[in-house]
Amino acid sequence: MAESRKPSPPIASRHCDDPKIDYKEVAYLQKFLTPQAQILSRKRSGFCTQCQRELKAAIKRARHMGLMAFVQ
Amino acid sequence: MTTTYEGMFLLDNQAVRADWCQAKAMVTDLLGKNGAKVLCARRWDERKLAYPIKGRTRGTYLLAYFEIAGTGLNGIRRDFELDERVLRYLLLKVDAIPAGEREKAAEEGADGYVVPPPPTDEAISPERAVFGDLADRPIQEHLRRNTPAEADAGDGAEAEVAEAAAAEES
Repeated sequence: MAESRKPSPPIASRHCDDPKIDYKEVAYLQKFLTPQAQILSRKRSGFCTQCQRELKAAIKRARHMGLMAFVQ
Repeated sequence: MTTTYEGMFLLDNQAVRADWCQAKAMVTDLLGKNGAKVLCARRWDERKLAYPIKGRTRGTYLLAYFEIAGTGLNGIRRDFELDERVLRYLLLKVDAIPAGEREKAAEEGADGYVVPPPPTDEAISPERAVFGDLADRPIQEHLRRNTPAEADAGDGAEAEVAEAAAAEES
C-alpha cells in the first residue's frame, strides 16, 4: 500500500482583525501562489473564508495591474 | 455625497520619460474634469510588468486618492479607457487615505524633487519593446532551420547514395 503524502502545513500567519490584504504588497501575495502562479487553496494557505476571499481579490487586482503573472 | 476612492494608474513609460509632471497632470486633470477632488497623487513605482501590456514591458504606476460623487465615476472610467497613455487603471473605494500617503505626495510636490532615473537593467531596444524576450534570441537560429542550403545538401546526399547503389549494381 502506497504511503499517503504528508500535507504541507498552512503558510498563513494572519489574524482576521489585521488590516485588509493590499494588492500592492506583491511580495506577500507571491507566497500564496503555486510555481505556476495559481492561487493556493484555503487548506494550504491556512486562511479563513473571509481572509481567503480578500486574498483572492487582492491577487486578481494585482494581476490586472500587471504586478503579478496570470500564469508562469 | 462624496466618496473617497483610490486610483492606481499604469502609465506608458514614453509619456513618463518625456515629462513626469505632465503625465501626472494628465491624470489629475482627467479626474478634475469629471468633478473629482484630488486629495493626493504620487509616483508609486516603476516596474517591469509581469506580462506585456499593449507591447510595453515596463510601466510607471501613479497612485492617487480622490473624492467624487457616485455619478462621476462612469465619466472617469470612459476617459481613461480612451486615453492611450494609460495602460491600465484600478479604482477602489476606501474608507480613508492611508497614513503617510499625504506626506509622500507632499514630498513629491515639493521643489527640488527629482524623478528617480530608470533602472540600469532597462536598456530596451525597439525590438525588445515589441518582441520582449524573443528579441534576445539570435536570429540565425531561426533562419538555420530549413534553409535552401540545407535542402540542397539533403538532395546532394540522396544523389550520392543513388550513385553508390548504381556502382554496386554494375
